[in-house]
Amino acid sequence: MPASALLIGASVASLNLCTDEYLLLLARPQEVASVSFLSQDRQESPLWRSARRFPANRGSIEDVLVRRPSVVLTMGGGGRATRLLASRLHIRPVELLSPLSLGDVAANLRTVAGVLGEPRRATPWLQELARLQRTSPTKAKDTLWLSGGGQSLTAGSIGAQWLRLAGLEQRPLPGGRASLETLLVRPPAVLVQSRYRSAQVSSGERWLDHPIVRNVRAQRMAADGRRWTCMGPLMIGEIERLRAAQR
Amino acid sequence: MTRPTALLLAALLLLAALHLLVPLGPWLELRRSDPGLASLLLTEIRLPRTLLAAGYGAVLGMTGAALQALFANPLASPDITGSSSGAALGAVLGAYWFAIVDPLALAAFGAGGAALALVALLLLAGRRSDTATLLLAGVAIALAAGAATSLLLALAPSPFAFYDSFEWLMGSFVDRSLPQAAAALVPAGLACAILVRRAHALDLMALGEDVSASLGYPPRRVAVEVVGLSAIAVGACVSVCGAIGFVGLIAPYAARRLSGGHPGRALVPAALVGAILVVLADLFVRSAPAGRIVPVGIVTTVVGTPLFIWLVVGMRRRLTS
Amino acid sequence: MTSLLSARGVAIDGRLHPTDVDVAAGSLVALIGPNGSGKTSLLRALAGVELSRGSLAIDGEDVASAPPARRPHLLTFLPASRDLAWPIRARDIIALGLAKADPGRIDRLLDLLELGSLADRPADRLSTGERARVLLARALAPSPRLLLLDEPLSNLDPYWVLKTLELLRETVRTLGCSAIVSLHDIDRVGSFDRVLLAAQGSMVADLSPESMLASTELARSFRIERGESGWRVSRA
Repeated sequence: MPASALLIGASVASLNLCTDEYLLLLARPQEVASVSFLSQDRQESPLWRSARRFPANRGSIEDVLVRRPSVVLTMGGGGRATRLLASRLHIRPVELLSPLSLGDVAANLRTVAGVLGEPRRATPWLQELARLQRTSPTKAKDTLWLSGGGQSLTAGSIGAQWLRLAGLEQRPLPGGRASLETLLVRPPAVLVQSRYRSAQVSSGERWLDHPIVRNVRAQRMAADGRRWTCMGPLMIGEIERLRAAQR
Repeated sequence: MTRPTALLLAALLLLAALHLLVPLGPWLELRRSDPGLASLLLTEIRLPRTLLAAGYGAVLGMTGAALQALFANPLASPDITGSSSGAALGAVLGAYWFAIVDPLALAAFGAGGAALALVALLLLAGRRSDTATLLLAGVAIALAAGAATSLLLALAPSPFAFYDSFEWLMGSFVDRSLPQAAAALVPAGLACAILVRRAHALDLMALGEDVSASLGYPPRRVAVEVVGLSAIAVGACVSVCGAIGFVGLIAPYAARRLSGGHPGRALVPAALVGAILVVLADLFVRSAPAGRIVPVGIVTTVVGTPLFIWLVVGMRRRLTS
Repeated sequence: MTSLLSARGVAIDGRLHPTDVDVAAGSLVALIGPNGSGKTSLLRALAGVELSRGSLAIDGEDVASAPPARRPHLLTFLPASRDLAWPIRARDIIALGLAKADPGRIDRLLDLLELGSLADRPADRLSTGERARVLLARALAPSPRLLLLDEPLSNLDPYWVLKTLELLRETVRTLGCSAIVSLHDIDRVGSFDRVLLAAQGSMVADLSPESMLASTELARSFRIERGESGWRVSRA
């Protein structure tokens, strides 16, 4: 693919909810060929309004082929040969890192901006991220992040790293799961509860309805679970909100 | 070739052509704007998908028929005997824990997993056990393998492994490449070609193991061959497409109606019926409304479960009559 | 005269001691003995179902090395079990015995065993006696040199017991083949040329029918003796 074509205007298709995020945040509308159907779902992505302007795909390269993208963004792959197929179809496959650290998020931002031909576009995001890291509170409160069924974050995981930027230290839990007993006997200082699909019935939601969970003696904050699915750049806004909620 | 077999083959070719062309809209649209890309769409994306759907279906049908003949039980099949689950376990182990990328090497892992599952079944249930023992042993192995697979996926170094699990445990033909299709279908095809030559021996097993042995087909050797060849064929397909259930149970049943009840003569018709069933299921998946992904294994299970129940009821009625 | 069957040292570990058997062409041999004595084991060893040691030749041809295509011409084995796993038509079951398709032969056998009306009925809808006849027809179908039949007369009506014995006699007479038939009812041995007595995994006697019935070996093995009005339990 000649570099000049990149300058003329890449047409990028994203096959994955998490890669959609980078594309929707960094690309101009004419540069987006397609996003995954999940991004158009209000319950799955905060960017659903802008995502709905674009054709949806079901994660398969066949779905986006008719849009003639020049680049396809993927993350993970499983048994699929999406990247190989893309090459054979003369589409440039770009794989983003599944972020295990904040550095990975930064790398993905730079990659996507580069694919769009303007590395500068990542700069504001990178600067925001760096600022958050610089101003990270020195002391952190004992925190439990909770979603359906007691699911929490693993200490040291990228979710915990984001949380730390808000001055909240995720307590290490066995199996990454909070038990009702823990909430009763050793409640955290702060409870961050994910509101992901909170209106829908599920066994996970019923767990969150338990009296012990509802009456935990802790400072409660709500988390927009959608942003925590991908742990990507949308977390920057989330962390700023969590910081503000503590002031 | 008998007339029913010829009809089945014609039906399969028709469905396969349909599977290649549906959805027609995007292909026609592409042909107008970029004919080169349109033909690539057919050859690089749709062709492997159709080949895998038909081939995997044929493998499930034929190995199902062979396993039913071997176990003298119409409820045996690659999924119920735990063979498919074992194959998925092998493939997941290879892909996420040994970082195997080469499709052929992955197929070998799948075959190994399937073989281990079938060996475990033979050890647990023996060859001539009653239906209950066979089913319980097969279900136990399938559950154990499925649980192990889920555990491996949950603990895998790659965080996406867990989200991939529904493709491994419920099957998918999406975005499979021609090299992948070759890695699955060449070993599977060879194994099935050899398996077909055992058809007469499997027919003779209907008269009992002793008669079959007296006629020069020792049951143990036939069992090892059928188990080994089935494991290779199923394992290779599962390593590329994940586990698909019920086809290996239903296709042989239909095929035996055509072969007059002969279990060995049903091998080829079962392959054709299996191929038709999977291509149909994948046609349904491809036509499903955009916004929802239905794994092909769900379609086969939804259709196959009532048929399975009907089979069990029929068997019970026959036993008590 | 060279034997039709010449078996040397055939044995099954734990069930059959090394045994030599010679059978002349055109003879009906009865095989009797108490339960667990080794009757079935001998038949299975001769049929090649299970053979730990020994060899056997039919008309001088080594059976173990005969390929599957040749086997139906050499021998046939009819096990005692009448179970059939699959609902195959009676006609097709008989056909399984043939090395090559032969509809005429199948029709003749259907006639012989009065199965004409049942020809197209699947096995699971036949009575035990009818299934027994179908399976016997299967065993007779390829006209093998040696018939090895394990309790073919059980589950049969008196009419069919007698008809089967007649049929076997006719077959060995016209084709010059031979049959070894295990029996549960020792009073049937009169229809045979020769009787083998099995006890604890060995053949302990090989006599004519009259001699066998009067023998002390039989009395000892079965623990019965001949009285004025038939058999009674041994008092010794």
